[in-house]
Parts: sequence; structure tokens; C-alpha cells
Amino acid sequence: MRDLGELSRAAEQALGWARAQPGVSEVEAFVSANAALLTRLNYTSHIPCNGVEEPKSVESYGIGLQIVLDAPGGRRLGFGSEPNDLSVSGIERAFDKARRAAVADPDFVSLPRPLAAPRTLSDYHDPALMRVSDERLVEAGWTIIGGALRTFLASSRLADLADGEEALRRLGLIISGDVTMIQERMAIASTAMPHVQTDETTLITSFVTSMVEAHAAKGSGWSTGTRLDDFSDEAGGEAARAAIAALGGTRVPSGRYTVVFGRQPVADILNDLVLPACNAETFYASASPFLGRLGRRVASSALSIYDHGAMPGMMGSKGITCEGLPTGRTDLIREGVLTGCLSCWYETERLMRDPQRADKLGGADDAVRAAALVPRNGFRFGAGGGRQFASRPSIAATNVVVEGAEPLDRDELFRRVGNGLYVGRIWYTYPINGLRAGDFTCTVTADSYMIRSATSASTPSPTSRTPVADPRLPAIARACRVQIIRMLAHAGSGQPGRPPRPATW
Amino acid sequence: MAAITVDLIDRARENVPALLADARRRLPHLAYADLRLEVTESRHAIAENGAERSSGDDYACTAGVRVLAGDRSVAPGWLGIVLGAADVADLEARLREALERAYRRAMANAEHKATAREKFGPLGATLAELKLYTVDVRRDVVPAVYRIDPRSVPLGDMVAAAVDVSRAIAAAEPSVRYNWIPLLTQLTRELFASTEGAVIDQAFALTQGAASVVAVGAETSQELYDVMGHQRGWEVIAGGVDDPLLAFPPFRDFALALAHDAAELAAAPPLPSSEREVVVVTDPHYNTLVSHEIVGHPAELDRALKMETAYAGRSWLLADLDAHQVGQRIASPLVTAYSDPALPGYGHYAYDHEGTPARRVTHIERGIFRGFMNSRQTAAVFGGEPNGHFKATSAALVPLIRMSNTVFDGGDADPARIVGDVDRGYYMVGHRIPSIAESRENFRISARKVYAIERGELTRLYRDGGIAADTRAYLMNVDAVGRDFRLYPIPNCGKGQPMQSKKLGNGGPTMRSRARVLGG
Repeated sequence: MRDLGELSRAAEQALGWARAQPGVSEVEAFVSANAALLTRLNYTSHIPCNGVEEPKSVESYGIGLQIVLDAPGGRRLGFGSEPNDLSVSGIERAFDKARRAAVADPDFVSLPRPLAAPRTLSDYHDPALMRVSDERLVEAGWTIIGGALRTFLASSRLADLADGEEALRRLGLIISGDVTMIQERMAIASTAMPHVQTDETTLITSFVTSMVEAHAAKGSGWSTGTRLDDFSDEAGGEAARAAIAALGGTRVPSGRYTVVFGRQPVADILNDLVLPACNAETFYASASPFLGRLGRRVASSALSIYDHGAMPGMMGSKGITCEGLPTGRTDLIREGVLTGCLSCWYETERLMRDPQRADKLGGADDAVRAAALVPRNGFRFGAGGGRQFASRPSIAATNVVVEGAEPLDRDELFRRVGNGLYVGRIWYTYPINGLRAGDFTCTVTADSYMIRSATSASTPSPTSRTPVADPRLPAIARACRVQIIRMLAHAGSGQPGRPPRPATW
Repeated sequence: MAAITVDLIDRARENVPALLADARRRLPHLAYADLRLEVTESRHAIAENGAERSSGDDYACTAGVRVLAGDRSVAPGWLGIVLGAADVADLEARLREALERAYRRAMANAEHKATAREKFGPLGATLAELKLYTVDVRRDVVPAVYRIDPRSVPLGDMVAAAVDVSRAIAAAEPSVRYNWIPLLTQLTRELFASTEGAVIDQAFALTQGAASVVAVGAETSQELYDVMGHQRGWEVIAGGVDDPLLAFPPFRDFALALAHDAAELAAAPPLPSSEREVVVVTDPHYNTLVSHEIVGHPAELDRALKMETAYAGRSWLLADLDAHQVGQRIASPLVTAYSDPALPGYGHYAYDHEGTPARRVTHIERGIFRGFMNSRQTAAVFGGEPNGHFKATSAALVPLIRMSNTVFDGGDADPARIVGDVDRGYYMVGHRIPSIAESRENFRISARKVYAIERGELTRLYRDGGIAADTRAYLMNVDAVGRDFRLYPIPNCGKGQPMQSKKLGNGGPTMRSRARVLGG
């Protein structure tokens, strides 16, 4: 992987070379090197398998140039990139592509300018994780498989269910998921911010699903970290324990329930519904369910949500955005009131000059709107991980945190619910009739329980939990927009982070 | 140093077989290796609200290697790389290095696998030797089909075309407050070579126009998105597509029709939900997504064999190797469904990404489930010959079992009669957004437009509605299948980790069944 010095020199050279070309009024040089390493896990006790199915990786590096050309018909904005060449010839090829591609975008105002806030997060990556070997990548996958298999073998519940080795295999024990490592390096320099800025990020995640398939019992295990030392076999063991705990589940009859969402469902609902609704581009397109609601109540007053890209140790943290701007905290909903949007430089500048900005965004005046649109979320994520030199910036969340006004632990939440459903994992969460309509559909897939009060609701007492049988759970949940927000408001004080999201179409 | 073009494949076709032969000779315990190299030359233009937004012409060059190797066991290792113009001079060295790294991963993986097999007693037994089902080893060249070469289209013409359509929408439909119009045309050439001797050089043209529109009404807004396209050249945008199975008007008309629908729907009421099942008639565009979600995905054998348990889910069609639905009735005798790479459109190809000749696989034959899309590895596990459905979205990514053109077959009923025979029911026109259960055993799919049917006539138009049903019951209740079969492109089928967004084809005719209708 190219080191930071090479990337920095290339960014500086690209800026100097490109700004010297005739007709060029602004330049932004973005240089990055990325690697996404992943071992996909597939163990099945009842079907021949490989255990670690795919130790694999995709690596890339290169340069991306945004240029502004002063032309007779007006300014033109272009973007071009070139992989695997940080020399002048690579810069020239990226520049030629940008010049050929330049268009007269009337909404373009300028390339990013410095913000008043300083950068707060530096030198936070793990050098050991940045140099992982092929052999260590493979070993990581087997570490998780080992954790889960040891848990299955040690389980007395499974032993009670299966009298003999063949019967144990016939239980249909499944370990599925992955270990993912992301290595990112970037350097950026521009006409307005000519001093080269750099950033290095590492993260390692494991996302594991285990099943005792013959008993329709499924459980999940997770781990996320930014350092190789954070990694262990725990996610495998956790998933296997969760699958075993789900034995004896019952199917849930159709109906209306009081629902408590665990962290993964909260993250899923944020990812697919709330964050798209809080995206500046969605407001520009008049597609947000929160259209014109800035400064107004959109949720329960118990609910606050913010995005914070500069939290030390969190897997979504970055020192700077892919526009060279400092990351930081953006309050999206504070005590139920819409207070901010995820935005990048282009979208902020465009929306602030939109004649319909008051109708689209809301807010008392331009000062309020500007405060809501600080461009802290312009990133070039893609290809399963990495800051992609071949992409222009777009809006992406970092670490999204949900806070309740009255933080409760899970048991207290269950006690207050009395009878209901705890939903620990959902899937295929889509705004089924479009984002603006505000309703969604998803399927409950694992880690879920019936909540039943042990005594009458008037007498506080421990609640009992019965696992929900997963695979044929016909639980297609529906809720209107107001209900979604109410559910979120009671989700407790967890920080859902950004787990890898299984999605399909 | 010139930019990379698809002609790079000519050189690779000469040299890669020798690289693979050398690897087989040199690397101990290498059982099999294949290498894919892909070059795409593409152009795009985007207009937004009547203005130029962006454009670009570029190349993408990627390579991917799979190695099966091991001493005490055999296991896979993979590697993907991105290549640039600076790599052309040393292309063979870069590919050799990739082969060696994938080999190291496979060897390490095999060693861990052998150790785990010994260490985990009864649960180690299914860590089996990796086998690939034997297929015909082919050497072939498949050219792309197009009239206007994607590489010849001036970027300025593409930008002008996108802006023209974007402005036409704004002029025609005042309630459409936002539109986004991306156009794409590209030529891709792929090389597949293996240590078994396969050398396959396939080329594909692809041209696509998409439209995203937001119409604002008094109470709500309607956001619609749709895509037209074909594996052809730039002629598709101006002239549309006129194939017996795949037909589109010129892109301008296509986008204006979508905008008109959005405007009409923004003023329509939401669909009221039904308490129980009602008669539903679904049009070919709607059935495109139904065939995708409840036939195609559960008929992918990697999913059925639990390999996607953590991600895209499993399949209700297979519990284990001895308990599955093959040979069982899962649908009405009127229902036949299959995947066929020989059909035109986005799902057309001659060979998949492990060199298997692609062929039709019947999933449902007059109501009886017959089989799965597969790969060489999954065919070796489950049985049945490989049918050529192991595909990746880029050579740098691993292939997965993917749909080609997965469709409901046409029937013989007059589509007008299928509606006309309904006393009370609903007509679903166009697909919108799906949400499907983990093993595809039930589903909810929203429609672009929903009409009430009263005494055989279409009456009121509704927005924000669709159907929800149990998959098997829905298929069993099909009582009419039309003769108006149509194919459509699906531009973004997501699967895998990291997510691969794949272009493929789906389709079907007008059909009638029973389901609950759910409104927004």
C-alpha cells in the first residue's frame, strides 16, 4: 500500500501542475490508497463447506482531480481520475479527463473553502492493522469459526438435543458472515486550501450469524474496532450463544405489539429511513418527509440524534472529510426538533442559494439554515470500504448516535413495556412507498423475544423473555412516520454505530 | 503512455494462458486457478432540473484471481486488483503477482481447514475437499452487438441529450419539481482463462437511460425512478428498443411518461389496505420484480446452501441436501418460470465468470419446482450440471450465483380478459419497492400505480400501495397468465459482501392471483 508521503507529494504536485494550466481557476487534488480485505465465512454442519469460503481483497490507489475552467460561455466544472500512477503522467491523464468532462453546472458555487472549526482528530489509525499479511487475513476468519465451533461443542443444550455425532451435525449448525478490514490513506490539497492535509484510517469488523437450523434458532454476533488488538474470536462465540439461546422459540401471531428495538434495528432504521430523510440532497429534491420542518418538531421530545465524525475510537471516525474539511458533530434532531442536515460543500452552497430554500428546508432565516448545513459529511466512500479517488464527494454519515432524554437500561425498558416484543435484528428495511410517505416494511430475522410481564402490570417485577422462532416469522412490520420516531425515542441510550448492513434488491 | 482500451484483451488472451500454465507448474499443491481480466470504456452524462450536472469518459481495468490449493486439504484464495495505464507495460508481472498472492491465501486457508477438521471432532467432518463440477473447456470469442459504438459518442452530445430530456420534463409537467437524468453507454471486454485450458473472450455493449422524478401535490410528493436499456450501442437512447421480447420507446418518451405518472400520482389518494385477500392482477413490469424476488433469489443455489445466511438470506426451497422442494408443487399448473441467458437484454451472455457455457434452467415447470441456478462448486455439492450463473460485477470481485434473465413464462390468456373477468379487485401497474422475508417465503412489493377493478373495468387510481402475500400461496393461487410476456432491465441487484450491484434481466406477462393489498 502506498505510504502517506507518496500520497502527499502527489497531491502537492498535482495541485501545482494543474493550477498552472491555462484557463484553470480552481483545482482540488485528492489522492488515496485503499484496501478492503475480507474473509467470508461459511460453515454448515449438514452441508459440505469450506469454513472460510473467501479470503479476498480489493486494493487500489490513484489520483482524482476536480478543476474549474474559465471558459467564454462561463465557468465549467470537471472531474477526472487515474489509477495506479502518482507521477506527472498520471496527473496529466486525470486532468485531461477532467477537462473533457467539464460541464456548465449553474448550481456550482466553488470548491470547498476552509471552515472556522479546527480539526480535532489526528493520528488515530493502527499501524499493525495497516500492514496485515495474507496469512493473518485467513487466520482472522478461522479465529471466528473456531470461536463459534467451540461454543457449539461446549453446549449442553445442543448435547441434550443430539445423541451422537451424526445427530449433532443434523442440527444444522451454521456459521456465516465475515471479518472485514479496511485500510485507508488520503491526501488532499486545493487552490483554497493549498497546504496538503492527510488522513489515515483503519478498522476491523466481524459480523457473524449462527443458526441451529433444525430448530429455527438464529443469533448474531458483532465486533467493531479500529485496532487489530481489538479483534478476537468473541463475535463467533457470541453468535453461537445467541443461536443456542433462541432454541425453543415460538411463532408470533400477527397483530399490533409494543416493540422494543435493539441496536441493530435502530441502526437499520437510521440507515434506511432517518438519515436519508436528513440528507441535504433529499431536501433539495423535495423528497424528505421532513420537508420545510427545520426548527420544528418532527419526533418525540425524548429523542435526539446526532452524527459525529470525530469521536475517538469509533469506527466511522475520520480526521477530515474527503473535501479536506474538519469532521465534527452535527445535531440532526435535538429533543424532537429538526436541527440539522448531513451535507457536503456542494449541496450546502446549492441549497443556500436555492430560491425555494425556505420552503424546502424551513428555518426562521438564512442564519438558522446555514447553521444546519455545515458541510461535515462530504466523503468518497465506495467499493465496500475506502476513500475512492475515482469518485466525487457525496454525503455520507459517520457515527450516528441516538440519545433518549431519559436513558434506560434494557431491563427497565422491558419492565415498563410489560408485554410486547423485543426485536433484536431486522432486515430489508425499506421505505416501501417512498421516503416521503414515511412508512416502512422489514422482516424480523433473529435475536428477538416476546416480553411478558411475570405479574400484573401494576406490580413492578422481572419480565420473562421467550425467544421468537426466526426463519418463518411472518413479521412484516409496518409503521407510520410518527410511530417510527416514537419507537426510536424509546430505544434507550445505545450508540448503534455503523454495522455492515446486509442488503439486497 | 496511452489510456487502456478494450484492445488490451488481445494481448492478455495471448499471454495469460502461459501465466496460468507456469503457475500450475511452479506452485506446489495448486489444484486449479482461473484469472479474469476486464476492460470497460464508458461515457456518462447527467442532467438535473434542466441543467448540466456532470459527464465523463473513462476506462476501468480490473483483474481477479481464484486459486484452489493445499497440501492436507484444498481451499480457495482470491485476489482482486485495479489496473491503470501505468501498469500496461508490466501487465503480466502484475497478474503473476496476483496469482501468487491468491495462492498464498489458498495454501494458508487449506492448512487452517485441515487443522480445524482434526480439531473440532464431529463438527469438523463437513469441512470437505473443495471440488468443481467438470464442465466443457471452451476457447471462444463472443463479440459485442451495437450499431453506434459507445466509444464514438461525443460527450457533448450525451450532455445535450440529457439536458434536453430534463428540460422537456420540467416543461411538460409543472408539478415535477425535481428531475435527475443520467445516461450511460459503454463497451466491456472480459477475458476468462483457467488452468484447465479455457480461454474465453466476451464483449458486451450496454446503453442505459434512467430518470428520477419528484412530483409535488397538495398533500404529498411522489418520487419515481425507472430505467430503460439494452446490451446495445448509443442507438438505444434516440431510437428506443424494438425487440419482440424487450421494447422501449425513445428515452425522451420513456422519461416523459414516468414524469406524467408521478404528476398524476401526486394528486391521487393512497391505496386503502384490505383486511383479507382480494383478487389482484399484476402487469408485466410489476411481475418483473415479483419474478426477481420470489423466483430468482430463492432459486440461487449459494443462498439455498446457506452460503448467504448472514447477508441476503436463505431459501425456503431447500432445508438441507435431503429435504427440498425439487419435484414438489409450489405453484399453480399455469406457472412456469426459468432463467435464460440466451434471452436478450441485461441478462444475456454466452459464458459465466468461471467459463461455464450458459444455458436455460427451469425453476418452475407448470407448478413443479425443478431446480436452481448454480456454479461449479455448488453443483458439485448439490448435484446437477452447472448452468452458467456464476457472475461478478467486476473482475476484481468474486463471482456469486446471479440471475441472468429470470422470468415467468408467458401464457395464452388475453391480458384484457384477465382484467375484464374480475368483478372486484386491484390492478398493479409497474413495480416500485420490495421488502422480502429472509428465506423469500413471504413478500411485500409496492406498485407504481394501483387501479381499482370494478365489474371488469379499471376505475380509481391510487398511489402508495402494493401487495403482501405468502410466496407459495400466491403462486398456487395464480389463475390466469397472459400472452403479453415482456423483459425489463434490473439495474441494481445487490448481493455479496462487499455489496455487488448487478445489472440483469427479469420479466413476465400479466398474471392474476390473490393477495392482501396494503396502502401507505
